[in-house]
Amino acid sequence: MITLDIQNLEAKIGEKQILKGLNLQLEEGKVHAIMGPNGAGKSTLSKAIVGHYDVSIVGGDILFKGKSIKDMEPEERAKEGIFLSFQNPVEVPGVNNAYFLRTALNAKRVHEGKEELNAAEFLRLMKSHLSELGMKPDMISRSLNEGFSGGEKKRNEILQMLILEPDVIILDEIDSGLDIDALRAVSEGINKMKDGKRSFLVITHYSRILDYIEPDYIHVLKDGKIVKTAGAELVAQLEEEGYDSIANEQ
Amino acid sequence: MRLNSFKNKSLEELATLLAISPQNRPLKKFIEMGGLPSKKSEAYRYFDIESLLDGEYESLDYTPKVVNEGEEIVIENGVITTAPQGVRVYYEPCEQIDDDHFDPLYYLSHALYPRTIKIEVDGDRELKIVHRFTKSYAIINYRIVLFNQANRHSTIYESFEGKLVQNSFIMYGYDMHIAPDSSFRVVKLQTLQNQNYSMLASHKINVEKNGSCIFKSFDLGGDNALQLIKVELEEYAHIDAQHLLYLNDDSKRGTVSQIIHKGQHSTSNQEAKNILDGASRGIFDALIKVEHSAKYTKAIQNSKAILLHEKAYMVSKPQLEIYIDELEASHGSTTGQLDPQQLFYLQSRGISAIEARKMLVIAFANTMIETIRDSRHQELIRNEFDKVFYSKED
Ligand SMILES: Nc1ncnc2c1ncn2[C@@H]1O[C@H](COP(=O)(O)OP(=O)(O)OP(=O)(O)O)[C@@H](O)[C@H]1O
Ligand SMILES: [Mg+2]
Repeated sequence: MITLDIQNLEAKIGEKQILKGLNLQLEEGKVHAIMGPNGAGKSTLSKAIVGHYDVSIVGGDILFKGKSIKDMEPEERAKEGIFLSFQNPVEVPGVNNAYFLRTALNAKRVHEGKEELNAAEFLRLMKSHLSELGMKPDMISRSLNEGFSGGEKKRNEILQMLILEPDVIILDEIDSGLDIDALRAVSEGINKMKDGKRSFLVITHYSRILDYIEPDYIHVLKDGKIVKTAGAELVAQLEEEGYDSIANEQ
Repeated sequence: MRLNSFKNKSLEELATLLAISPQNRPLKKFIEMGGLPSKKSEAYRYFDIESLLDGEYESLDYTPKVVNEGEEIVIENGVITTAPQGVRVYYEPCEQIDDDHFDPLYYLSHALYPRTIKIEVDGDRELKIVHRFTKSYAIINYRIVLFNQANRHSTIYESFEGKLVQNSFIMYGYDMHIAPDSSFRVVKLQTLQNQNYSMLASHKINVEKNGSCIFKSFDLGGDNALQLIKVELEEYAHIDAQHLLYLNDDSKRGTVSQIIHKGQHSTSNQEAKNILDGASRGIFDALIKVEHSAKYTKAIQNSKAILLHEKAYMVSKPQLEIYIDELEASHGSTTGQLDPQQLFYLQSRGISAIEARKMLVIAFANTMIETIRDSRHQELIRNEFDKVFYSKED
């Protein structure tokens, strides 16, 4: 089954066309990795999926569980179960991290017709995840991402993923800037979310995280298109020979 | 009474009209300053004073009434009605009127209210002052003198209640004398709204040697109000002035201030945060003046504004006037919208655009609300902020 179906997607940032007829299908329960040179359009793709205001879609479509989402508000996409861990999570001074996350979770629960969690119930849920991720307890009482180190921001993104339990998880360079322990903790968090249903789209420049989370497919994104799709064995070839070795298959 | 009928009158004519002696000092100062202000006056450049002066108002009778015992000081339509036990509250002519206030109405207000309300804040204590208004189409004018003793530390919580104050014009203000080595905190919360009243609060604050004044104003909601504050700092004196403004509809509110460093090593820290919605106008027109005598002073001034609507408008004028080199001073001002990246981040986690906006606005306000020491009062102001904010945003 296909969870996310990206069809011939063309997208612009400002006047510049970045995605030039991109096709990609995420399968249920599978881990897809995207690799590709800097500036190829990987982050633009992830922003297009979640409805970022920078990106305007000028052609093609994005279907989630068979429905087009390209005209949906970002918060609607999130409540439907799409999650993006940002390459550079923004700092939000004055907004308490725990309060933010509970508001987000309850918005989703209301959308799903479930009861909202009160502060105590939420705290219990969060505490179990915190220790798994090796996060200091004070990080949830601080302002959202404010003054967090690069690695702490990434862990906080994973914390949000664990709590929100989305169906499609897009991770844009979740591994960049992580130390060895953080990389392991984050990877374990991701692996815990694998349930045979969820789909993952992992954008990365390094093979290391892929050793931990074992992708089913590797896609190469170059100049606004997916130019090659293969199994995990492609990683070794890319590391060896670089992106120039990939001929356009599409 | 129409204040505009005072226009172009000589001292003698005005004295006769008001049945005051032409020797009356505030009246003389008022005339010396050119009488009624206009939109060209320094103090009212951004506030529509002329239509206020043109209104027809009922004048009130300020004959003292029996003062009941209660938890707070209540001043109703310019007359004390309630005071706590052990607080000295009485009427007496004001003997220390400022020599050089920038607001001509400070003087007119004194001239029209010769026996001021004196409140002696004894010892270390907290006092609540409630201003209550129940008259419409009236001019409600009164002056308060506040003073404490050396080495004492007290707090005043000031709030406003109004019923039927439609189209009334309120002028009031403090002459505050902060004794050497003492500290005095004033936390003002003004949330009266949808009453179509106007208010001018014209203050003079003297901070004596080594004294410290903390003045925090929380001006939330609608209608028209201006606080005009003049501060004088002696040696080692300090003022911390913080102003939170949240405006909606077509209200005009804000602060016009002058902080004057007179003594050496005096310090000032003034910060304004302004959130403007609807077609409102926020005013922060604030001068810090460091005189020759005030070496080694430190002055910081900053204003930040967030505009929530394309019709909202912020006048932000922090200014420094400096006559010496031996000092540390900085000032700055920014005006902008909510950060789209932050908004998007919240939305991308399932929080609606409206809710995300609220979270960011409240976060901005909270940075100031959190500086209130007393947690109960902090909570009160946070709740009032939510109330005023949500009443408009929903
Ligand atoms: N806000 C923006 N304004 C203008 N150009 C942009 C903007 N964001 C991205 N771009 C441009 O779009 C192109 C694709 O950028 P994108 O961030 O998608 O690349 P990427 O594949 O994620 O690269 P990296 O591996 O460096 O993260 C780049 O040329 C970039 O400069
Ligand atoms: Mg990128």
